[in-house]
Amino acid sequence: MHQFSYLKAKSLADAAALAKANPEAKLMSGGMTLLPTLKQGLAQPSHLIDIGGLKELSGIEVKGDVLSIGAVTRHYDVASSAAVAKAIPALSYLANQIGDPQVRNRGTIGGSVANNDPAADYPSAVLALNATIVTDRREIAADDFFQGMFATALEEGEIVVRIVFPLPKRAAYEKFPHPASGYAMAGVFIAETAAGVRVAVTGAGPGVFRWSDAEKALAGGLKAGALDALTVDATDLNEDFHATREYRANLVQVMGKRALQKLLA
Amino acid sequence: MSEKHAANRREDLRLITGRGRYSSDMNLPGQLHAAFLRSDHAHAEIVSIDTASALKRPGAVAVLTGDDALAAGYKHFPNLLTFTNKAGASLIKPQRPVLAHGRVRFVGETVAMVVAHSAAEARDALDAIEVEYRDLPVVVDAEEALQPGAPQLHANVPGNLNFEWDTGDAAAVEQAFKQAAHVTRLKVVSPRVIPNPMEPRAAVIGYDAAEDAYDIYTNSQGIVMLRWQFAALTGVAEDKLRFHLHDVGGSFGQRSAVYPEHGALMIAAKKLGRPVKWVSSRSEGFLSDSHGRGIVMAGELAIDKDGKFLAAKYQFVCDMGAYLTPTGTASHVRNPAICTTGVYKIPALYANFRVVMTNTAPVAAYRGAGRPDIAYVIERLVDQAAHELKIDRAELRRRNFIPLDAFPYKTPTMGVYEASDFNGCLTMALKAADYDGFPARRAAAAKRGKLRGIGLSTTIEGTAAGMFPKDQIAIEFNAEGQLEVFTVALSQGQGHETTFAQIVADTLGIDATDVTLRESVQGKKLEGNHTGGSRSLVGAGSICKVAAQKLIEQARPLAAEALELEPSQVEYAKGLFTSRDGSKSIGLLDLAKKHAGANPHPLNLMAEGSVAATFPNGCHIAEVEIDPETGVSKIAAYTACDDCGTVINHAIVEGQIHGGVAMGAGQVFGEQVMYDKASGQLLSGSFSDYAMPRAGWVGGINMNDHPVISKINVLGAKGVGESGCTASLSSLVTAALDALRPLGIHHVDMPLTPPRVWQQIQRAKQLQQTKAK
Repeated sequence: MHQFSYLKAKSLADAAALAKANPEAKLMSGGMTLLPTLKQGLAQPSHLIDIGGLKELSGIEVKGDVLSIGAVTRHYDVASSAAVAKAIPALSYLANQIGDPQVRNRGTIGGSVANNDPAADYPSAVLALNATIVTDRREIAADDFFQGMFATALEEGEIVVRIVFPLPKRAAYEKFPHPASGYAMAGVFIAETAAGVRVAVTGAGPGVFRWSDAEKALAGGLKAGALDALTVDATDLNEDFHATREYRANLVQVMGKRALQKLLA
Repeated sequence: MSEKHAANRREDLRLITGRGRYSSDMNLPGQLHAAFLRSDHAHAEIVSIDTASALKRPGAVAVLTGDDALAAGYKHFPNLLTFTNKAGASLIKPQRPVLAHGRVRFVGETVAMVVAHSAAEARDALDAIEVEYRDLPVVVDAEEALQPGAPQLHANVPGNLNFEWDTGDAAAVEQAFKQAAHVTRLKVVSPRVIPNPMEPRAAVIGYDAAEDAYDIYTNSQGIVMLRWQFAALTGVAEDKLRFHLHDVGGSFGQRSAVYPEHGALMIAAKKLGRPVKWVSSRSEGFLSDSHGRGIVMAGELAIDKDGKFLAAKYQFVCDMGAYLTPTGTASHVRNPAICTTGVYKIPALYANFRVVMTNTAPVAAYRGAGRPDIAYVIERLVDQAAHELKIDRAELRRRNFIPLDAFPYKTPTMGVYEASDFNGCLTMALKAADYDGFPARRAAAAKRGKLRGIGLSTTIEGTAAGMFPKDQIAIEFNAEGQLEVFTVALSQGQGHETTFAQIVADTLGIDATDVTLRESVQGKKLEGNHTGGSRSLVGAGSICKVAAQKLIEQARPLAAEALELEPSQVEYAKGLFTSRDGSKSIGLLDLAKKHAGANPHPLNLMAEGSVAATFPNGCHIAEVEIDPETGVSKIAAYTACDDCGTVINHAIVEGQIHGGVAMGAGQVFGEQVMYDKASGQLLSGSFSDYAMPRAGWVGGINMNDHPVISKINVLGAKGVGESGCTASLSSLVTAALDALRPLGIHHVDMPLTPPRVWQQIQRAKQLQQTKAK
C-alpha cells in the first residue's frame, strides 16, 4: 500500500474545500471498496478525506411522500430502520442482502451509489425507485446519474449528500448472489412508482440499466406471470469464466419473475 | 454418534479466545522482514533482473535472486515417491531453485526476495525490482501437456511426463473385459482446488553462527517430516535445524512440506546474521501455496450377466503443476493404488498413472490425498453401471461387496484390507436416510419446482500408514511432578490435546486434566510420523496407550517401596496403587510428585511401536435439490454412517466427518480453479472469484456409527480425518446426477456450479426438442 495522508473532514464545506485543494485526494465514506483497492495498489491517492462521520450527510427521514437517506448511512442502519421498513420494505430487504455483516456495518449508501459498481445492489433501487441524488452542488435524477461501469454524473470533488426516494406504491428486489463474492450476478428491482412501473437490473451488465421490455410488459398493470414469456437479449451482458452472458440473461429473467411474484404476494 | 455424550475439546477455549500462538505471532529479536517478488508470467525466460533500485528503497537491506539460490545449492526438493515402474524408471524430479533461475514456470513462482526493516518496506521495494522476461508458450492443462508439440517445461522431463507407473494385471483385465456382459465407461475429473487454510503461510528463521544452526518457526504438520525435508533441500544436518512449532490454523496437507520460501529465508538469515520473517498475503497464498487434487480419471468396469463385477481399469493423468512437491506424487499415485477395488470384490484390476508438468502452481497432498479421487471414480462407475443395468444402486453394491468372511482381504493391487462390514454400514445408512421414503420427497420437491436426487457412496480408504517405521511416545514428569506426554505429531485442528490426554488418562484411570500433551517439541529425541493421512490417533494415539500401560508397570516397584510391600502385593486401579488387603494405597500422581525434581525422574519412559495401515469405510447418503431455473444445487439431507473403529471422542469424530463433508461440498459445488489458457494467469485468485464452501452449504448431518474394531492397533481405531472428503464427493455428485437423469443428463464434472448445471439443463432441453421434431 502506498503512502497517503488521512484527513478527517469537519463539515461538508470542509470536505469540499479539502477535495478542491488536493486534486489527487479520494473521498472516503465506509471504505469498503476503496480500502481493498488501496491495499492492492490499484488506487494511489495523495489523501483520503474521511467524510464518514459528517452529520450533514447522516440520517434517515420520511417526510410526506419521500424517504431521504443521508449518504453516510450504513447498510446496517438502512436494513434495521423501522422508518425504511415501513416506507420501502424492498429497500430494507436489499440493504440486508449486501455483502456480509462486516461490510453492512461499514459500507454506506452514498459510497455505493457514488462508486457505481456494476454488481452493487443499491444502484438498482435508486434507479427503479426514480430517486434523486442530492449533492453539495445540485440534484441529479437517477436516470441521469448512472453512466455505466464505475461512471456517474458526479463532477470532480462533488459530494453526495443524500438520496431522496419518492415512496412507491409497491416494490420488490430479487438478487442472485455470486457464489464467491456475494455481489449480484443479477439483481432486479421492480417498483410501481408515480412515474409508472420501473424495473432496474444490476450485476448482469456493465452497469445498472432499466429493463424496458419488462417495464412495457408491466405498464398495463402488475399481473402475475407478466414476465414469464420475456426473453432477455444477452448481447450486451457480462461474460467471464464464472458464467456466460446467456446464463446472466436467464438470471435477469428469473430474478425479474421472482421479484414480481414477491411484489404481488 | 450424536446421541452419545461428547466432551468439549480442551484446546477450544484457548483457540477461540485468540490465545493460540501461530507463526505470524512469532518474533525474534533483531528480526528483518522479507517479501517475495513473484513471477507474473506463467512461462518465460528471465533475461535479466536488476535489483539496484530496490536496494535504494527506504528500509531495504538486501535483495536475493536465483543466483543466491544456486550458490547455496538449494534446488533439490525431496519426494516421497521412491518406487520405480515396471521398466525400472524412477520419477524424474526437475530442479527447483528456491528463487527462480533462468526461467519461470508458473504465475506466483518466487523470483526474488527483498529483506527490509519492516514488512511494508520490503513489499514496497518489490516494485523497484526490474525483471525482463521473454515469454514462452504456456500449457495449463495436463492432458494437453502430454500432446505432441506441447510447450515443454523442463529439459529433463521429455513430453512433460515425469513418471508413468502401472499396477495390476493388464492381461487378466483384458481377458475379463472380453467375457463381460456389460461394460460401463466414464471419464471424470477431480478438479484442482486451492486449499486456503485460515492461517496464512508464515515463517521466522534465525541463524546461530556459534552453533552453525538454524532456528525455524513455521506452520507445519510435525517436526520429523519437516526436519527431514529441510535437510534434504538444504543439505544442512538435521541436528542443526531447530524447529520451534506451535499452533497451526489448518493445513489439510498443504503445510506438510518444505517450501521455496523456507530455503530463501534460511539463505538470508545466514547471509545477514539476523532473523528474517515472512508472512504470506492471501493473494500470494492463492498463487503459491500448493494446490490439491487435479486428476483426470478414466475408468472402465466389466460386469457379468448377474451384475457381478469382473474387472476394472483406470487411467489417471495427474497434474502436478510446474514442479514436484514432496508429497504430491505419492498422494496421486501410491494412495489411490491402495484402494483401486473400493469396497468391492473385483477379481482383476489394472491402473495406469501418469505424472505431468503444467504451467500452474505445484500440487501437493490435500485432505484424502488421492483417496477421495479413486473412491470418486469407482463410485461414479458403480452409480453409472446401476443406471445402465437398471439395478437399484444399493442392490448392485450388495451383490459386489467384499463379504465379511473374506477379511483380511488382499486386493489385486496394493492393499490388504482389515475387517469391515460394508453391508452393515449400507443397511444402517439406508435406514437412517429413509432411502425407501425418497420417492415421496422427490415428488414434494417437484411440486416446489425443484429437482431432487439421492446419491450414495460406499467407500474405503487406506489410512494411517506412516512414512517412518515406528511411533514413539515419551511420558515425563516435570519439575512439579506433573505428567507430560510428548509426541512428534502436531495438531492443525485435530484436537490431539483432548484425545491423546484422554487415552493416557483413561488407561491410567486418572482425570484427563492431569495429563498435558506436548507436541513436536524441539530437542526431544523422538521418532514417529507427522500428522497426516488420518494417522495420528491410530499411530501416536495407540502408543499413548502403550506408554500409559508401561508407566503403571514402571511405577509399581516404586509404589511398593512407598507402601513397604513387595511389588507383587500391589494392585493398580483408577490411579491408585493399593495393597492387596486394601489397607494402604498411594496415588500414581502422588508417587510422581514424591519424586519430583529427581533428574531424571524415575517414572520417565519412552514407548514405541509400529502401527500398520487401517481401513476406515462408510456409507454416505446425500439428497440434493436443484433449481432448474438457476442451476443452484442445495444439499437437502445428508446421512453418514462411518466405520472408524473405536471412537475415542465422539465430538472430534463428528467434527472430522462434518469438516470433511464440507470440504467435499466445496469441491463438488463451488471451488473452481481457473487458469487462463493463453496466458497462464490465475483468474480465480481471490475469495471474490473462488467460492469456498459456506457454513450454510452443509446443514445438520445425520451421523451414525457402525464400527468394526480394528485388530491392528491397541485402540481398535481407524483413521477418520479424511473419511468425510472421501465419501462426500461421490455421494453429492451422484445425488445431483440422480436429480438430473430424468432430463437425460448423465454426467456433469465438478464443480457443479450453477451456470454449469444450468447449461447442461439447457442442452438437455434442446436435445429433447430436437428429438421431438
